[in-house]
Amino acid sequence: MRLLVLEDEPALRESLVQQFRGAGFTIDQAADGVEGEFAGLEYPVDVAVVDLGLPLRSGLEAIRAWRKAGKSFPVLILTARDSWQEKVAGLDAGADDYVTKPFRFEEVLARVQALLRRSGGWSQPLLRSGGVELDTRSQQVRVNGAAIELTAFEYRLLEYLMLRAGQVISKSELTEKLYEQDFERDSNTIEVFIGRLRKKLDPDGKRQPIETLRGRGYRVARE
Amino acid sequence: MPRTAPSLQARLLVALALLLLAAAAIAAWSLESWYRDLGLRAREDVLEAQVIALISSADIGPDGRLLPQNLVEPRLATPGSGLYAEILGARGSWRSPSALGSGLNLAAEPAAGERRFEHARLADGSRVLGLSLGIRWELADGGTRDFVVRAAESLEPWYGEIARVRAWLATGSILLGLFLLGGLAFALRFALMPLYRLESEIMDIEAGRRERLGAEWPRELAGVTGNLNALLTGERKRLERYRATLGNLAHSLKTPLAAMRILLERGQAEPAALAPQLDRMQDIVRHQLKRAVFGGSGATLIDLAVQEPLEQLRGALAKVYADKPVRVTLAIAPGTAYPIDPGDFLELAGNLMDNAWKYCRGEIAVRVTPWTSAEWRRPGLAIDVEDDGHGIPPVERQRVLERGVRADESVAGQGIGLSVAREIASAYSGTLEIGDGRLGGARVTLRLPGR
Repeated sequence: MRLLVLEDEPALRESLVQQFRGAGFTIDQAADGVEGEFAGLEYPVDVAVVDLGLPLRSGLEAIRAWRKAGKSFPVLILTARDSWQEKVAGLDAGADDYVTKPFRFEEVLARVQALLRRSGGWSQPLLRSGGVELDTRSQQVRVNGAAIELTAFEYRLLEYLMLRAGQVISKSELTEKLYEQDFERDSNTIEVFIGRLRKKLDPDGKRQPIETLRGRGYRVARE
Repeated sequence: MPRTAPSLQARLLVALALLLLAAAAIAAWSLESWYRDLGLRAREDVLEAQVIALISSADIGPDGRLLPQNLVEPRLATPGSGLYAEILGARGSWRSPSALGSGLNLAAEPAAGERRFEHARLADGSRVLGLSLGIRWELADGGTRDFVVRAAESLEPWYGEIARVRAWLATGSILLGLFLLGGLAFALRFALMPLYRLESEIMDIEAGRRERLGAEWPRELAGVTGNLNALLTGERKRLERYRATLGNLAHSLKTPLAAMRILLERGQAEPAALAPQLDRMQDIVRHQLKRAVFGGSGATLIDLAVQEPLEQLRGALAKVYADKPVRVTLAIAPGTAYPIDPGDFLELAGNLMDNAWKYCRGEIAVRVTPWTSAEWRRPGLAIDVEDDGHGIPPVERQRVLERGVRADESVAGQGIGLSVAREIASAYSGTLEIGDGRLGGARVTLRLPGR
């Protein structure tokens, strides 16, 4: 998942970036409204966390610009003022939820995950496809009721596919979303990880939870 | 002392004085003209009567002159009496004894049947009014002869009278003007008294000698004084609220601070031990800020149409509670507006609707109606927010409204929405009540009074 952090306070931004990375997100970050607006328009962002009070251009303006350009990724606003006026202004501009400062990271993470889940069309935190159950809150995966162990990257890969269940996801999209831009990109790596994931989810190869569409990408069935 | 513009009273008095001066001058002038005209007409009548009397008593003398046979008017016989007469004819003229040595010198010689008035001066310079009448006398032999019959009267006594009238008029109008100006000055002072009172009361407020303006103002000022009082009350309430918030904030932060100090002194300041205290401080700050930061009422507020903010709130809440779809009915009387700070209104309605959303099962009804009373020129506002949740039991209601008000109460970040709404409402002299709604859950009724 590719997440844009738009926050001007360096300590807070660094802490958000680190903690989101720790939670398996691929991060883009910006410290002012102009840079942030550009990032949201140009990078393949899945979700953005936006502080409203930013230098050069306000967070509200950045959000409006994204929405005007047809960007529909969910946006969580961080606001220092806990007033409905501020919240309504943000949500009206096109944001999807808010968290007031000061906040705990768990709260922000939970909101971001809920936004991602909802933007993928899931109304429950528990994603199901075939016999696979993925709990976005606890990041646990069960196959036919039995918990299985996944590495962080495998989890991110599966979560991405399951959140977009029913859609065909290309290898290049997966590379883009799961690696930070300065990492080496190698689509073979994705194939290797898909292979490992299949072995863990479907050891005897009966259910085929991840379908391969030759030349197009992968798909998890939506129930 | 800063330079000030002339006072209203001075301006009015100067303007009125000029106006009165002009009015008095015009009145005196027209009165005098009228009197002069009237007098002249009377003099003319007298002369005509004299001429006619002369003619009626006249007859042709042996020398062919026309002579009055007897002088009915004794003044004509007395020299220098001021009334003179003469009769001019082709064969000689006659002059009244009174005209002896007077130097009477009338010029008009009208043809028969014509008459002419003229002003002239005697030898001593005195002014006279003269009348010359041309007549044609029928002789016994059937022939005719033309004469001019003249009478003149001195105007000096009458001019003297006019001068007296003029002096009397001038004195009269000056006295009248002074009297009117004095009266106006008094009337102005009397009329402006409430303004002087307002000024002195405002100075008293500035000096801290009084808290608000007194009662019983004239209708023209009642709007201003009412608004000023509302402003003052609003400001005082706000100040009290800030003080209370500051006090509450300081006091409630002391406990976690003390706890942290103890932890530090004992060397037990591990993150795990400090975190709950930090959380508590964070909650306290958030909570107290929420209570303190609202605009408050004032006379300066303009009408807010409530439909749009309510719809914005519905949209915003639908996003925030995306996992909990709720049917929200907004019933708003068209054009409903109320003078309230937009931020305050969003905070009020936001807290009420947020609360309803939190506790409903799937339905919320918001009804906005004007709240009218005979005492108000402008209606107040009533907002009912109902939900289909479990409701709030009567014993809990007061506590819910007062949650988090006391400084020493342990503060949770949640559940203070209604008490915050109640505080904002009370800043607008409004009320918040909890009851049972028709949807089966709670009904929260907000009432903001009119003016």
